[in-house]
Amino acid sequence: MSIVAGFDVGSLTTKAVILKNKKIVGAAMIRSGPKPVESAAKVMEKLLDETGIHQADIIKAVGTGYGREKITFIDKAVSEISCHGKGAQWLIPSARTIIDIGGQDCKVIRLDKQGKLVKFITNDKCASGTGRFLDVMAKVMNIDVSELGKLSVKSTEPITFASMCTVWAQADVIKHINSRKSVEDICAGINTAMANRVAMLTNAIKIENDICMTGGVAKNAGVVKALGKLLGCRIKQIKKADPQLIGAIGAALFAQEMALKKVSSEAA
Amino acid sequence: MRPELKEYNLDKLFAGTFMVARNLGSSTPGEIKNVLKYTPYVGGLLGPVLATGKPSITFFDLFYDYYSNIINAEENGKKVVMTTFCFDPSIFYAIDNLVPVTLEIGTALTTMLWKRGSSDFMDYCTEIGFSETGCSSQRGAMGAYLAGLGAKIDLVALNMGGVCDTNANAYNFAAQYLDIPYFGLDYPSELTTEEVREYHHKDYRGLINFLQENTGCKFDINRLREVLEEKKKQDVLMNEIEEMQRLVPNPVPGIYHIMIYAARYIYSGKKKFTKLLGEMVDVVRENAKNGRSGLKNGVEKNRTFLVYIDNYALGTAMFQWFEKKGISHMGNILSRTFNQDAPYTTGVPGTTYNIDTTNLDTMIDSLADINARMPMTRTIRGPYDAPNMWLEDSLSLAKQYSADCCLYSGTPGCRNTWSNVKLLSRDLEAMGYPTHISYGDSFDPRVETWESTETRLEEFYQIRGLL
Amino acid sequence: MKSEFLEAATQIEIDSVQKWKQNGGKIVGYTCSFMPVEPFHAAGILPVRLRGITAGSMEISDSYYGPFVCSFPKAILQLAGTGHYHFLDGAVISNGCDTLRRLDECWRKMGEDIKGSVPPWFHYFDVPHKPNGHAIDWYKNQVKKLITAIEAQFDVEITASKLKTAIKNQNQVRKLLWELEKLRREDPVKISGTEAYAAIIAGTVMPLDRYRDSLSELIEDVRTRKTDIGKNKKRLFVGGSVCDDFELVSLVEQSDAVVVGENVCFGVRNDNDRVRETKEPLTAITEKYLSGSVCPRMMGWYKQRAGMIIDKVKQTNADGVILQNIRFCDLHGSENGLLERDLDKSSVPSLRIEREHGPLTETGRLKMRFDAFVEQLVTSVSA
Repeated sequence: MSIVAGFDVGSLTTKAVILKNKKIVGAAMIRSGPKPVESAAKVMEKLLDETGIHQADIIKAVGTGYGREKITFIDKAVSEISCHGKGAQWLIPSARTIIDIGGQDCKVIRLDKQGKLVKFITNDKCASGTGRFLDVMAKVMNIDVSELGKLSVKSTEPITFASMCTVWAQADVIKHINSRKSVEDICAGINTAMANRVAMLTNAIKIENDICMTGGVAKNAGVVKALGKLLGCRIKQIKKADPQLIGAIGAALFAQEMALKKVSSEAA
Repeated sequence: MRPELKEYNLDKLFAGTFMVARNLGSSTPGEIKNVLKYTPYVGGLLGPVLATGKPSITFFDLFYDYYSNIINAEENGKKVVMTTFCFDPSIFYAIDNLVPVTLEIGTALTTMLWKRGSSDFMDYCTEIGFSETGCSSQRGAMGAYLAGLGAKIDLVALNMGGVCDTNANAYNFAAQYLDIPYFGLDYPSELTTEEVREYHHKDYRGLINFLQENTGCKFDINRLREVLEEKKKQDVLMNEIEEMQRLVPNPVPGIYHIMIYAARYIYSGKKKFTKLLGEMVDVVRENAKNGRSGLKNGVEKNRTFLVYIDNYALGTAMFQWFEKKGISHMGNILSRTFNQDAPYTTGVPGTTYNIDTTNLDTMIDSLADINARMPMTRTIRGPYDAPNMWLEDSLSLAKQYSADCCLYSGTPGCRNTWSNVKLLSRDLEAMGYPTHISYGDSFDPRVETWESTETRLEEFYQIRGLL
Repeated sequence: MKSEFLEAATQIEIDSVQKWKQNGGKIVGYTCSFMPVEPFHAAGILPVRLRGITAGSMEISDSYYGPFVCSFPKAILQLAGTGHYHFLDGAVISNGCDTLRRLDECWRKMGEDIKGSVPPWFHYFDVPHKPNGHAIDWYKNQVKKLITAIEAQFDVEITASKLKTAIKNQNQVRKLLWELEKLRREDPVKISGTEAYAAIIAGTVMPLDRYRDSLSELIEDVRTRKTDIGKNKKRLFVGGSVCDDFELVSLVEQSDAVVVGENVCFGVRNDNDRVRETKEPLTAITEKYLSGSVCPRMMGWYKQRAGMIIDKVKQTNADGVILQNIRFCDLHGSENGLLERDLDKSSVPSLRIEREHGPLTETGRLKMRFDAFVEQLVTSVSA
């Protein structure tokens, strides 16, 4: 019986997943604090509490995310890119291109059918094309960011946003609100503006089907729809797990590989 | 790039648009009104240009010619050379089987005529590996050509090395991406020395060899002479317009600037450009004779000299805003030719060009000298405060044209000017010229929307008491 | 790592520079690797490559440079404005690129506001954008002008004989640098990229004799080492924008990697990267500095450059290439796009990355990408 854990310390949320005999038995997500070690410890505590598993039962643990190397109770730190790729393909075996849009960055990952990382690309410039862009726009509209997707699918005349800059786009949103444009149309415009940036990044890497999305923005149906249209491809949705947990799932899978290797070397 | 965009050939769209536009000369005002009603984006350019009267139809006709040359090039056995706006195309028109296409004109047109501007093409450049921070003026049209949505490009020839890295870099990228021959004329940082003149002349001969090798065609000297003689006529006409611009009020309609320089960059040396200029001179003379401003409402409240380029990010919005505010457009860095008889020349030896059509050598030297004085190539090749460089040129032109203030509008991709525009602005202010620096992108409204740019302009003119 | 190399790589005003000044020596800063150092050595002047390391903020340079420009010359200007380059007796600005050439006027303008921030002598060295034909004559003439200007300013005479001696001395250093490059290519790897790059950078700021001796010592030491720094690590090659900061190389190596070579405007290209001692000095200097394009400013020579870089990558047995560019460096930013394509055709994996020059505040972001790239290069990341 192998129990392993994976942690993903992101800029906005910290996630943890426990796998027991290759099945997810628990997952937790909390708001990240300023110190990654503390966030990781907190989410670990929450997860152990919910699952009733003891820390000592965990054979191997892998961490990912920006604070990964500072987590003291992991066996290895692995990049989010590898973890998101791993996690996504585990849930959708046909996945070859993974688009991860997190709070602060955006990554596009290509894997081969063996799950090997072939190529990746990340945004380097600014917040547009990341979850931060949606957060800021949702705040201007005084709605929860989770509403952006739901509202946008009801849009009949999506706004075209002139600006791609997160800062200037706020002024655009206010302008449209004052012009009494519908909330749905503004949301659709915001999602499309986001999708435009992501599409440009994605097209730079020669995508291959199947494509799926991970990270919090994958839950925004409006962005997913707009992105699919821009890429001219269907984006397969991850249904078996929360897309925000994919990084932690991937980390746990790496931990599992380590555990199996340990077991076989001990057996040998 | 959005899949549906791959259905459209950019050059054919332009050719089609201008083919229809040039026929509007025989339309009634009511018919034109209907056309504009159904072309809300294209109308942004068509409307203001049509309002200029006779020159507008010649302008559309010229552009139709230009684009139909491009779309029919392959069929007609001609090669297409990709070049930049500040490379005088006369040389290309002296070669029988060569047709030029100028990226910046294509970008400006796409930005002005399409709903989403040229952003899709710009983003496509990034998708294929070009730097996103590169100048938008090339990226708009370049994306289309590199995606195969324009004419097939056979070679690249331009002048920009030494003056604008970003520009030359874009063309170099295009050449490497398409794996086609490339030639760049190099420009040292000085303008008037004999040494640099000799360098220009030798470099230009290198260009001639390159063109001959890559087109398989020899120069037709008589044709070259004909093109340069035509260019002389064009210089005379442009000089007259520049001279009249010194009047108060300025009798030159603001939009003439973009019409003149856009046509010059693509059709210098061709008869239709001469015709366009002639028609414009008639209008300006008439205005001048009657002491009339080139502004539609006739009231000149301010004379603004643009130290760099115009803003094209929302059609002709900037020009319309100038009209609304009563601001006379006193030209920009793109407007001037620096031929030796131009009214704004300072008489300093080596700063202007002269066209000598005596023999092939003198003609090639003349072309080399013309190119060395093209916009940007002349003005921003050396330190901004060196003789005959940006500061001196700006001050001298602002004074000659009695400018009340100066305006900088460019693109974030312009490393050259962004590296010293603060210095220039400081010195212009010290010399009594209120100067506004616009942080938008003249070709990409996503950087700063026209509304934001306009708000800042309003602030500047209001706070500085300029209107 | 040799302490003097570490000092040279991490500080602007190093011990040897201070001693040089104390002994009455003159120092001239320069921006670009296209500028020949030999005339300065011939004049007994120490040429020091201007760098932007240790610039903690940009508020001074932002007053002169606008936004949307590369932070490397901005960092140099910032350091000049805060007195860090007070020891310079002169500076030579070259047109390496548009932003760098504008350091000329920005610095002079800053000198009007911040007294003493401009060295007593400023010279502009105008490098052509072509390595052949009439450009050769132009460059040669620029070198002549440089020599004349040095002689006038510093009241020295640069004879052909002194120039030949300077060439010979500098070539000795180049030869040693090439020896270092060859050592880095060996397996087992006995010197980290961090240590090697610090040594390479030091050569652009230390007095020649002292540097040559220290470099010789280092090479001998490396030859005798029994370590294998590259064990279980991926061999990486770093290319792209100028990199005067060895911390970047160090950061790359923190991702289970060893940097075995670079093409970032420092160091030597190959075994032939010398000034020919048998030729007339000015001609020889011109040929060496202008030929064999390593910089995308030489537009139209991409194919030669790509060929040279790919050869170098293969010779170093690099597993992958990191193509970095400073934000707003369009020359490298775009060329990296072409190189990525061509490296891919040669089955060499590469990572394109954009960074800001200056203190590595982006270490987290960059490290994640380097980690992922190394993970891409290994077959399994399990322990």
